[in-house]
Amino acid sequence: MTEDNKFEEFLKTKAQDYNAPPVRVPRDEMWAAIEAKRAAGPRVVYGGGATYMVGQRRFGTRMWLGAAAAAMLLVATGVGIGRWTATPSAPPAVATTQPQTPASVTPSVTGEQTGTPLSSPIQPAENGPSMVASSSGTNTGRPVHQGTTQPRSSAPGNGPQVALAPAGSSSAYQLTTVQHLSEAEALLTSFRTRSNTDQQMDAQLGAWARQLLSNTRLLLDSPVANDPQRRPLLQDLELVLVQIVQLSPGSAPQDRELIEKTLQQDHVMTRLRTAIPAGTQRGS
Amino acid sequence: MHMVAYETQSSVNDIQLITRVVAGDAAAERELYETYVDRIYRLAFRLAGDDELARDFTQATFIRAFEKIGSFRGESSLSTWLHSIGVSVALNGLRKTKRQRSREAPIEEGITIGSARVEAEPDLKERLARAIDSLADKYRTVFVMHDVEGYTHEEISGTLNIPIGTSKSHLFQARSKLRVLLADFAPEWVS
Repeated sequence: MTEDNKFEEFLKTKAQDYNAPPVRVPRDEMWAAIEAKRAAGPRVVYGGGATYMVGQRRFGTRMWLGAAAAAMLLVATGVGIGRWTATPSAPPAVATTQPQTPASVTPSVTGEQTGTPLSSPIQPAENGPSMVASSSGTNTGRPVHQGTTQPRSSAPGNGPQVALAPAGSSSAYQLTTVQHLSEAEALLTSFRTRSNTDQQMDAQLGAWARQLLSNTRLLLDSPVANDPQRRPLLQDLELVLVQIVQLSPGSAPQDRELIEKTLQQDHVMTRLRTAIPAGTQRGS
Repeated sequence: MHMVAYETQSSVNDIQLITRVVAGDAAAERELYETYVDRIYRLAFRLAGDDELARDFTQATFIRAFEKIGSFRGESSLSTWLHSIGVSVALNGLRKTKRQRSREAPIEEGITIGSARVEAEPDLKERLARAIDSLADKYRTVFVMHDVEGYTHEEISGTLNIPIGTSKSHLFQARSKLRVLLADFAPEWVS
């Protein structure tokens, strides 16, 4: 017998004491525990169905919670980076050239108006849609889009040509947007503070909201909507404005509450105020 | 050793047993359990070295087996399939336990270091146990199954889902490491 064989024999003999199990196997106790655990967990369905034990379910839940936390962290990081990179490094410059391509929302901003808030944010463009003062008796000086609502899709020669928009026009669009958002904030503030029984006020707010709705849609079709922060805000604003427009005078309080709820849930007011730089002239 | 008897007669009996279990026969479940529980528990105990852990692993093995028996395709024997679940449950459970214990290690280490000075040189049994414990899981499992519990390489191969050659290689590695670790006791096996 070689030394290797002797060692193997020696090992086999001596290793019998390694973690030696008890002579009596606790069969009944273990079976009782198995039955109890199976009774406590979901009913077993044979065939590899969706069955799981309590422990596994906890593990799965923990896994999902971890994954959800990781996803949230990822999203938060992404949003943070997005906000950080979206912040302009230099003060916003005003366009010095008139946009050549007709856009649905074409702010009339010249070098003379540099740094000066616009009194009327959305001016009729030469080839753009007709924007005239309100003739409804509530002449607030706000522009009104006459006729049907501008379609959302950018038809050639009709909507804004994002790819063809001059680079210098972006600042003008920014200013226009800020003015528009200021006005929207004013409307929403008025809406929230109005009396529930004032039907005349409701009608005026409805007309005002309709004007802002048109402009919101135009902005959504403009290069402004390329901004990842502005677009969702404008979309949420559009929704709220639609609700206000549809609110007929003397409508049920529940309808108003619904609008209020939308405002609160989406934090529209907060986001509007965040989007409007400090010192900007607010709407009426 | 003991397993061979099961393997040769398991085919027909196992198929009938599985069919009954899948049909929801509670008596068949108990019969399956009674047939295999001893070996599963023994192996779990050998790997865990602790009665409570061995019980937990055995229970988890059968619970999982009852859950999945409908998907058993008979590609291996029922015994091999059950042992495969058992070893998987035990090794995963031990890894988890080790992680928990490693977190508590600082206190335990202090005690061990303090007492080691006063303790005498451990005897062969203790040294062997420590040496086996120090083996990597894959070597220790094959060694325990083959040299301690008497499984064949074919059975180990089926249970651990590794080639027979790998099983042999792991056993060789395990023995070689043990031989180095137990060199002090060489006169005992040479004589």
